[in-house]
Amino acid sequence: MCISLSSYAHEMTPAYFKLKPSYIEDVLVTSMKLFNRRDDVKYYDIEVFTFDWKPIPFASEYKTINIGYNKSKLFDVYIRNNDIDKVVYICTQSKLFKRTNQITLITSRICSKIKDR
Amino acid sequence: MDIKTITTLAFLMPASAALAVDSPIGGTVAPKCSVWTETSGVYGHPLPYKLSTLPADGGVKASIRVDVAQADYYKTRFTHPASFSSSPTLTDAVAWTGSTVVGQVSVAGMSAYEAAKVTYNNVTEFNMTLAGSTWFTVSSTASYGSTKSLPAGNYTAIIKAECIAK
Repeated sequence: MCISLSSYAHEMTPAYFKLKPSYIEDVLVTSMKLFNRRDDVKYYDIEVFTFDWKPIPFASEYKTINIGYNKSKLFDVYIRNNDIDKVVYICTQSKLFKRTNQITLITSRICSKIKDR
Repeated sequence: MDIKTITTLAFLMPASAALAVDSPIGGTVAPKCSVWTETSGVYGHPLPYKLSTLPADGGVKASIRVDVAQADYYKTRFTHPASFSSSPTLTDAVAWTGSTVVGQVSVAGMSAYEAAKVTYNNVTEFNMTLAGSTWFTVSSTASYGSTKSLPAGNYTAIIKAECIAK
């Protein structure tokens, strides 16, 4: 059995994001920052959701971010102008490796919300 | 150099030697949420058909700390397992139970989170109305079939901890 007693953290800022026009016509963009202090996690998925947690299409340099331990990464999320009224949450969720030496695993998800909605 | 000049210089020198430049250290505390996985949790195997994280059953409960830098910006949501993410082949149903409770708190007022929590299905939600650290303890129990023995092998289940801006 393996009991993990170390602390590992997942952080994302800002808490409230604002969409701005991007260099692409009819596409909005926002910048987010992910900080990985989980040494058991190297990959985080980016997700965009409506108020009732329905996924919204988006573009980003990464859909899955590869990030080292104690490192931060800035990433842009591009959303179509048509979806601006639907977008509420941008989330990052940790991806876990399938391992056999740990019996329960914890996946973390942090979600930022669109400003003023 | 006359005595007046020397005297003037003598007064000026220590003054210039004492010149100091302020070197400020800046910092910003962003309103953010950090999810700390402190103890992953371990299933004990107290009965042939049962896996449990309860200490009485030989298990270890998962402990997750949530740090919130700004009061009333976030809610947290914990989902205890309702299936194995990996296990040997199981031919019968598994009955799952579990819970999430507030453990340690950094601010006394956070103890009220426990009474105000919302539970549905295998999800427990807490409204993080105060800034600081809160520890949450997640427990999980799996009972196989109607007291059937669990096949030998490795079992893994996943707890989901979420911090969502309000």
